[in-house]
Amino acid sequence: MSVDRAALDASRFRPFGQLGLRARIVASFTLGATLIAGLLSITSVTLSRSNLLDQRERLVQERTLINGATLADKLTSPDIDAQTLFGSLSTAGKPSALVPVTEGSDGDLRSISLDARYGTSALPRALRVQVIVDHQAGIMRYERDGETLLAVGVPIAGGQGGYFEINQIDDIGRAIDSLGYRLVGACLVAALLGGVLGFWASRRVLRPLADVSQVAEAISLGKFDARLVDTEWADDPDLGQLVSSFNAMVSSMQMRIDRDAQFASDVSHELRSPLTTFNASLEVLRNAREEMPDRAQIALDLLSSDMERFTQLVEDLLEISRFDAGAVRLELDEVLLVETIKQAVRSLSRDPIPVEGSGLDDLLISCDKRRLMRILANFIDNAKKYANSATGITVERVSASTDDPTSGDEEPRLDTVQIAVEDAGPGVPEAERAKIFDRFNRGGQGGSRGTDLGVGLGLALAAEHARLHGGSVWVEGRSDGLPGSRFVVELPLVEPADDPAERSLDEAEAMV
Amino acid sequence: MGTRILTVEDDERIRTSVKLALEDEGWEVAEATNGEEAIAYFARQPTDVVLIDIMLPGLDGFDVCRAIRRLSDVPIVMVTARADTHDVVAGLEAGADDYLTKPFVPKELSARIRALLRRARSADTGVTRMRFADLEIVPQEGTVTRNGEEIHLTKTEFRLLVELAANAGRVFSREALLEKVWGHDYFGDGRLVDVHIRRLRTKVEADPAEPRYVVTVRGLGYKLQP
Repeated sequence: MSVDRAALDASRFRPFGQLGLRARIVASFTLGATLIAGLLSITSVTLSRSNLLDQRERLVQERTLINGATLADKLTSPDIDAQTLFGSLSTAGKPSALVPVTEGSDGDLRSISLDARYGTSALPRALRVQVIVDHQAGIMRYERDGETLLAVGVPIAGGQGGYFEINQIDDIGRAIDSLGYRLVGACLVAALLGGVLGFWASRRVLRPLADVSQVAEAISLGKFDARLVDTEWADDPDLGQLVSSFNAMVSSMQMRIDRDAQFASDVSHELRSPLTTFNASLEVLRNAREEMPDRAQIALDLLSSDMERFTQLVEDLLEISRFDAGAVRLELDEVLLVETIKQAVRSLSRDPIPVEGSGLDDLLISCDKRRLMRILANFIDNAKKYANSATGITVERVSASTDDPTSGDEEPRLDTVQIAVEDAGPGVPEAERAKIFDRFNRGGQGGSRGTDLGVGLGLALAAEHARLHGGSVWVEGRSDGLPGSRFVVELPLVEPADDPAERSLDEAEAMV
Repeated sequence: MGTRILTVEDDERIRTSVKLALEDEGWEVAEATNGEEAIAYFARQPTDVVLIDIMLPGLDGFDVCRAIRRLSDVPIVMVTARADTHDVVAGLEAGADDYLTKPFVPKELSARIRALLRRARSADTGVTRMRFADLEIVPQEGTVTRNGEEIHLTKTEFRLLVELAANAGRVFSREALLEKVWGHDYFGDGRLVDVHIRRLRTKVEADPAEPRYVVTVRGLGYKLQP
């Protein structure tokens, strides 16, 4: 299983390694489209250029041959004048200069330039030599004064000279340039289209990933019944496999979780009956405590206190397995918050604990009173266990704008109420603060168990109760900076809507 | 004659240990291992409180509860495996006065039984006769009549009605009623009150859907409308 990931990564060709998948797809499409369009453009420019040149050369060659032949015929009749001579030549295709060259008696060259810029001097020497000396027809393309010229020469029968034509062919270059510009434009358009196509394709490619990640997120939030269904791409033969294997993975994970939860629940249920017998028998023994020898009394007391703890543990386990099984629901009640807390504190603690909730005496909230009281009882118990006693309870209304921004819901945020139980104990170190709400975490290192420290399900249950309300629990340092801890439960402030008493009656009715 | 409690429980160990614990409280305890036995015993012997486990072989606890309720308004405590709404409400609907979940502590059980016994020995409010429109309550005789016609209530229903009637017009929270009628501590189950109020309405109200006497006070609890 140990695959060298670094080597694997390095061996992979990743030209856009730093970019995201979408950007990489878009870049690849853009690059591909540009390459193809560029290649096609270069090819067509090259082909057009050679085509145009070939065509022009053929035209010029043919004309020169014909003109050369005509000239040779005319030259033999001595009485012909130059005007007639040149008048008989074809100028189709607009040559720049017609240059008959005779190397006769005067050995000089005569030329008729149709354009003053071109004369005999415009002919390259190599061509002249080839035609006049070697008696071979020749064609040559060359640059002169920044112009591209095409000169064709034919030897004139008799061998005394030759006939040349000079053609200015810059128009071909211009045509090719203009074609080139247009093709560059086309390449840019192709690149843009490639990018757009890539974007569209990436959307299609990424859609499954987006769907998968959405479902995965739902699952991570505890919605284990979430599955990939009704996706547009599920019928795709390549991706269908992903759907089925993803769903199979979630199912087997859910089965495993369910099995674990079921096991915890089964164990707890199995413990109920013997525990009932234990408690009843223990009560009988306790009633007879005075008749027992001292040693037996000590043993009985140990048994009693651990049995209490054990019973509490099983009750907590049963409750938490109901949460795991999703079998819990809120039973909402209208609660006059501060007054309810004051009453609860009186029945929960022998020592008076001040309850501070100034200005909130009339605050009515809709919540599951039993669960809220469980949370409170747990905090107070906790303070009793670790700090001797709670020192104070505060109730605060927190408006949504100043709310802790940790929860990223899209839903409009409600105002919340925070109920905090403070103590003057040793406090909870930063590192432990999140962990103490985990199941069976007792706080302190190494799980050292004092004489009366309970097992760690209470805070985990408090967290579940709060979560069920859409609220949360946490622990922080005391607000006044003194040593000690401050356990807070925050609940969304839901104003009561309809009559909860009537509703719970309706629910009761619905149950039978 | 002492107080006699009938426990209906199929688990021998629980039955025996609970019997021992309750006997320590000074009560006489009769045992039944199944529903048929319990009903037969109840028909034969006067019993003050019945303790029924819901999970029984054959007739289940709900059946036994209904059968006994047909014979008598004796206080009944259901013992459930779960505190889930379904079992609790079904047990109360079957006629139980109170419930406990396993694993319970005997002290809790005996406290509930004592509260039930107190209720059963009639509510002594010092008032001899209360009249609200066509409803007449005579606490000392334990009778309620509407338009001169006697209405049959269980002890718990009667106690609940008297509690509300003795302070007619005053609003009682569920917690207060739990404490006064059931002897529960602060963390009692409000469903006990709700189900009993509903049952009470079906008996004393002409139209239970539009109660005239036992009315809900939104957000606070219940009161008797004089």
